[in-house]
Amino acid sequence: MSRQAPLVIDNGTGYTKMGFAGNSEPSFVFPTVIATHQSASAGSSNTSGGSGARASPPIAGKPSHLASKRGIEDLDFFIGDEAVANSKTYSLHYPIRHGQIENWDHMERFWEQCIFKYLRAEPEDHYVLLTEPPLNPPENRENTAEIMFESFNVQGLYIAVQAVLALAASWTSSKVNERTLTGVVIDSGDGVTHTIPVAEGYVIGSSIKHIPIAGRDITYFVQQLLRDRGESAQIPPEDQLRVAEKIKEDYTYVCQDIVKEFKKYDADPYRYFARFAGEHSVTGRKYDLDVGYERFLAPEIFFNPEIYSSDFLTPLPEVVDTVIQTSPIDVRRGLYKNIVLSGGSTMFKDFGKRLQRDVKAIVDGRIAGSEERSGSHMKSSGVEVNVISHKRQRYAVWYGGSLMASTPEFYNVSHSRVDYEEYGPSLVRRFSVFGSAV
Amino acid sequence: MILLESHSVIINDVLTDRFEKASRADIQFVDYDNVRFHLSTPESKTKLLLSMGIQCWPDLVKYGAREHLQKEYEGYLLPQEQTEPEYDVSLVVDLEQLPEGGEARSALISKLAHLKSTAMSSPFLSAFAEESSLQANYRDAGGAQQKDIAEQSETKGELKIVRYREEEAIYIQASNDRVTVVFSTVFKEETDKVFGRVFLQEFVDARKLNALQNAPQVRYSNREPPLEIRHLPGLHNGEDWGYVTFVLSPRHFANPSQAQQTINRIQLFRDYLHYHIKCSKAYMHSRMRYRVAEFLKILNRAKPEVAAEKKTASGRTFRTR
Repeated sequence: MSRQAPLVIDNGTGYTKMGFAGNSEPSFVFPTVIATHQSASAGSSNTSGGSGARASPPIAGKPSHLASKRGIEDLDFFIGDEAVANSKTYSLHYPIRHGQIENWDHMERFWEQCIFKYLRAEPEDHYVLLTEPPLNPPENRENTAEIMFESFNVQGLYIAVQAVLALAASWTSSKVNERTLTGVVIDSGDGVTHTIPVAEGYVIGSSIKHIPIAGRDITYFVQQLLRDRGESAQIPPEDQLRVAEKIKEDYTYVCQDIVKEFKKYDADPYRYFARFAGEHSVTGRKYDLDVGYERFLAPEIFFNPEIYSSDFLTPLPEVVDTVIQTSPIDVRRGLYKNIVLSGGSTMFKDFGKRLQRDVKAIVDGRIAGSEERSGSHMKSSGVEVNVISHKRQRYAVWYGGSLMASTPEFYNVSHSRVDYEEYGPSLVRRFSVFGSAV
Repeated sequence: MILLESHSVIINDVLTDRFEKASRADIQFVDYDNVRFHLSTPESKTKLLLSMGIQCWPDLVKYGAREHLQKEYEGYLLPQEQTEPEYDVSLVVDLEQLPEGGEARSALISKLAHLKSTAMSSPFLSAFAEESSLQANYRDAGGAQQKDIAEQSETKGELKIVRYREEEAIYIQASNDRVTVVFSTVFKEETDKVFGRVFLQEFVDARKLNALQNAPQVRYSNREPPLEIRHLPGLHNGEDWGYVTFVLSPRHFANPSQAQQTINRIQLFRDYLHYHIKCSKAYMHSRMRYRVAEFLKILNRAKPEVAAEKKTASGRTFRTR
């Protein structure tokens, strides 16, 4: 009997992506949320107070018969979309915050349903690939391994860093001719954008930078622009955010020169303005609105953050440059050569092109400066800057995981059940990379 | 979620999506008990090929699985020779020739999502059929001659064996007034063994509740196989092995829909058991975490307060009394 496909589960702050290795898309994508039947007050103390103020797990009433000694309250919960649908009668909990698992009770139960209800796999027959954010404390890895091996009896486990998987996913791009695990990953999801340098499969932790601008901010910005122009008067208030999101996803693109773009729109508004047609979700009233400058202004907040926020003012290309400049000098060339995009908020049209141009401009400027300072005696051979965008960008991390887990080498690098029994949870502190998987 | 669902969520989701809008697909996934699926569009976007590889297929074929599937998926099932290599059954759905109307479509989706349970149900169905014929014979004979009853009560159908996992099997036997289903289970993990034993004994006890009088009778034997299958060669009787026997009486499969429901439940029994063992462990873990947090609180209270050293403006220290 051949081995069964490993399970690939990518638990993000916002969404969980899961499926089987070897596929090109995750089978399930739903919010990482669990709806339990605890009272709302217990739930709120649970999330705010951390482990200190944790609510006790539900216990059944007085035992009357042997079979009814234990209640089944702990089985009464929903996850993902079903949880959201049941949010009126259940209380919602988000077990992952800022990429890291905060509530292990909820996470364990979340995985329970992930595996048994959605993937319908017997974990004892499968290897599992999980992901973790960069700088995840080793204690968290140990906890994860304990749950996976002791509760679920998985055959083997590999915990991969999301950024490394995103790099692996970029190998599908036709621009990539050399499979390397060195590069900068720009991971922009809903909440935060991370810029993570990776050298030969290892994350350079000290140089990671976070940008507090991501998908949700773009949506807010679109909403704000619509409101400023008075378009939002047409949209029912409860739909505003959804409409803004839709506009963001369907109409926006990154322009190469903002001034030229404004002129283009002013000269021929009919050509560039788009119409958005919507329908009131309750009354069915039809409405439509003009989509104007926000088409190119929305993703512009990455490059000119001052138009949106007043406390974060560094443009993304500059952040990328700083990240690379603070990395060890011998990997910088490799990092400039391989800037990889991942996550839904990097999907804007021409995002990669613009980023590449801007980073290139910074780098060329610096080289020109240092050539001049040397009295024009030294000539630089130039630094190659490459931003790679590819088709699997949206679920890049999951796809990278699927790719990795379908190689035969996966079984060698992952931690097997036998090893776990020999060494215990501290096993996962050892970090093995798919160095030669390529 | 107490009971596991009997349909595959992935098939359900993908088909619902594809019935709306045809697009390419190439998805491989699994189901419980070493069942592999492959959903693809090899020829054109509108021709969905759904293949299933199931470990106990040779066993199932013996009990008429092919014919049963033929009947259930009339017009969709591909003949044996056209089945995708490495898989056992292939179905083709042409998205251009779907039944009209939302209800008919969702019925089709649900039918296709039940592919595994339909395939697995053939030995059960044939056992049910056997039971009713045995029962009819038994009545005739019993009415005619009283003294034969002792011999007649021995009438038993063929013992059907479905090796649905590498080491575990389902044994199904029909007799004149019941169908006996025996599961052999093996636990790989030491703790699971204990959990499993407690769990299975609970099963037997729960049956004694008044509310559950109509449930099938359950027996559990550890180490030793039950009498029904004891004569079979190659049975294990080690510490890790347990045998669960369900006795289904005719009322559990009186009509087809009820029979199907019974089959859906019973074939997931092993997964149900293992799911609940895992849930119990998760529950105990959360109790343990809670306890640790409580104990930590007490420990933290017991910490002596560190007297902060106070300094004068000139930098000299003095003790507080």
